[in-house]
Amino acid sequence: MMDAGRHPNITLLAYSEVEEVSGYVGNFKVKVKRKPRYVIEELCTGCGACVEACVWKERVPSEFEAGMGKRNAIYIPFAQAIPLKAVVDAQSCLFLAREGRCKQKCVTACERKAIDFEQKEEFVELDVGAIIVATGFQMFDAAKLPEYNYGKSPNIIDGLQFERLTSATGPTGGEILTAEGKVPERVAIIHCVGSRDERANRYCSRVCCMYAMKHAHLVRDKTGADVYEFYMDIRAFGKGYEEFYERVQDEGVFFVRGRGAEVVVETDGKLTVKAEDANLGRMVEARVDMVVLETALVPQPDIDKMGALFGLSRSEDGFFLEAHPKLRPVETNTDGVFLAGACQAPRDVPDTVAHANSAAAEALALLSQGVVQIAPTTAQVNEELCSGCGECVLVCPYTAISLTDHTAQVNSALCKGCGTCAAACLAKAITALHFTDEQIVAQIEGVLA
Amino acid sequence: MTEEFEPRIVAFLCNWCSYAGADNAGVARISSPPNILPVRVMCSGRVAPEMILRAFRAGADGVLVLGCHIGDCHYDSGNHRTAKRIPVLRRLLNYIGIEPERLRLDWVSAAEGNKFAQVTAEFTEAIRALGPAKQHYCATGR
Amino acid sequence: MIEELRKVVGELLDERRPELVEGLDGVVALRGSSQGVAPHLFRSGDDLAELVVTPRYPMASVVDLLQDADPDARLGVVARGCDERALIEMAKRQQVNLDNVEVIGIACSAEEAEECRCATPYPQNLVVGEKVQGVEDRLIAEHEALSRQERLEFWKRQFAKCLKCYGCRNACPECFCEECVLEDELWAQTGVLPPPFPSFHVIRAMHTVGKCVGCGECELTCPAEIPLTILYSLLRRDAKELFDYEAGASIEDQPPLLVTLHQVPIRG
Repeated sequence: MMDAGRHPNITLLAYSEVEEVSGYVGNFKVKVKRKPRYVIEELCTGCGACVEACVWKERVPSEFEAGMGKRNAIYIPFAQAIPLKAVVDAQSCLFLAREGRCKQKCVTACERKAIDFEQKEEFVELDVGAIIVATGFQMFDAAKLPEYNYGKSPNIIDGLQFERLTSATGPTGGEILTAEGKVPERVAIIHCVGSRDERANRYCSRVCCMYAMKHAHLVRDKTGADVYEFYMDIRAFGKGYEEFYERVQDEGVFFVRGRGAEVVVETDGKLTVKAEDANLGRMVEARVDMVVLETALVPQPDIDKMGALFGLSRSEDGFFLEAHPKLRPVETNTDGVFLAGACQAPRDVPDTVAHANSAAAEALALLSQGVVQIAPTTAQVNEELCSGCGECVLVCPYTAISLTDHTAQVNSALCKGCGTCAAACLAKAITALHFTDEQIVAQIEGVLA
Repeated sequence: MTEEFEPRIVAFLCNWCSYAGADNAGVARISSPPNILPVRVMCSGRVAPEMILRAFRAGADGVLVLGCHIGDCHYDSGNHRTAKRIPVLRRLLNYIGIEPERLRLDWVSAAEGNKFAQVTAEFTEAIRALGPAKQHYCATGR
Repeated sequence: MIEELRKVVGELLDERRPELVEGLDGVVALRGSSQGVAPHLFRSGDDLAELVVTPRYPMASVVDLLQDADPDARLGVVARGCDERALIEMAKRQQVNLDNVEVIGIACSAEEAEECRCATPYPQNLVVGEKVQGVEDRLIAEHEALSRQERLEFWKRQFAKCLKCYGCRNACPECFCEECVLEDELWAQTGVLPPPFPSFHVIRAMHTVGKCVGCGECELTCPAEIPLTILYSLLRRDAKELFDYEAGASIEDQPPLLVTLHQVPIRG
């Protein structure tokens, strides 16, 4: 990430959102909204003095800590953030949200005078030839499956929250502790929460088996607690993965083959996990101090909006649709727009790196050619026959047709050759090349001959 | 000896879904009636009412338009227009006395070889029951 | 009503009252003279006693013609309900620029509404005349009561009368294609009379879907007296039933067959 931040050819527009995309392959115009962080990026050194000085201390649930810790109104997202700059949370900041009722200690603390509450959002227009969408994923909200009682006990946490517990920079300094601050004696780990589930997501989220076993390993390593791992199948498909599975078994983790069906919060605060052990053929229960729910990877909440912006459709699982599931995993049906990483499907780090490298290579290959090859099966307007009614403009799924001087014009780079315009045109003034009316009628006559 | 009427049915198949679905049926050795005469288009949205009429004019007893399921169109929403055009044309045919059942619209995906076979078999029998369409048309030849 | 209309038109054209003149170059209306009734562009100073409203004629096409000749002309148009609806549909298709058009709406009489079997015998911009109740098209119910075989025989008989004079197409305010597909051998057999059943008429009918405003000019023009409005009225009913669409109701309405199911869904 640091390399990306420093590279002379890379301009990082952090804290920004894409507002509008127009154009076509090789010639995109992207309008980006730069949200105000109320900190002048060029001046801020990420020293953290403002964070220290902030009067609204430890009041806002920290996004990075997955809700397991709190942050201030002005904050640096995490210690390794790129760019390492402070940002003001406008909704929590007393000065911004409560009509200026704040002593602004942050401003005083900043030696570089980098804090600027007058900052406004800015718009930037970028001319680019290719776009790579790498908008990632979010975790499934386990509260949607009430049988796990997520949220009813502070000791029922999801996988990301567990990661924060084991992180040296996390809320417990890397110690695995219950909410009461005790070292757990027994921990349950439940696979497939929201994955492989007709009620939530039918697909397998691919990465969770491995990190669930990592969690089991960490619990054994750091606390020696008993670990009960409730799984349906173990997906250990990668390099060294199966070997890790064997090692974790050797470390004494109890693998129970049965989907964790219910987590009961007992009156004494302990948690009981119920499941059917398919190998034993009977119901089992585990009374534990902590339950880790390994939740599904799901698409980002704004994936609809993102799809509309970039002209991307989605597959049945809700992630962005690739051009071909086997042969074109990083391309999309919109030429010049590529996909990298989990926004296309759940995948782990090595797979994401490979996928993203591939997207970068495709984008580079596209741009280095200087010209774009398009299929010849595009639509063409006969200007003499066209009366400029614009019906074709409305019909085109790719907005590839526009009206200029009362005549329709097809952008051949955007046209995908579906021919819907040719069918819609009442005057037949627009032709679908290589699937012309004459050709189709000839086929009709031919098959009936 | 009476000759049994063998319906001739022009089927407009979209390249990405229904045409592939027909292939799928073939590869899986699932039988479909030989009465189906396929015409491949890139998208079911390409099928204009004028073309359907031309098929009838040229001697088709029935016309089948098969596209991608709504939401799965390779071209995003080409099939939306088909979904609206065909019902209107069917109603119009009905008003002038031609059986609307001679024109059918359905959705068959690339993996639905079974559905292709089922739809084509059903449609063929339906047209067989209706009889030749020539009785309605006074086309003066090709 | 006619007197009031003439007065209104007179005021709009009156050069001596510049505050009333919203820059109209003329008003499109019917002019009755010894030679008969024809559409006319009334200018300031013209004898408005000659302005008539019957027999009715599709004024939208006249506006289209005038705007083609002079795109900047500011025109008033005496418009019945169907004229206004036709103007709106033409504007949706870039054939008429409504910014330069002032609709002087007139209401049809009860007799006129009956004759046209019209559901909305008045425009939205009604200036002269009293709205009368629209009528339901009884011919639709009568037609649907026939069996399919009866309908087939009926239309075969009717279309056998067709001379392919293209009067229906020429009179239609919504027909503006540079070259008509009905004259293209690929779609409608040329050089044959009557046109072979049913391609010619089915194509024409499909082309009216979402555009036909029910002005009835096609049927009025047809020398063979083919009851075309039965078919087009049925299709208008379908547009309403399937897509909740009424041609000419609003310039904001998107033609249902052209847009996605999310924009205009199909019902039933």
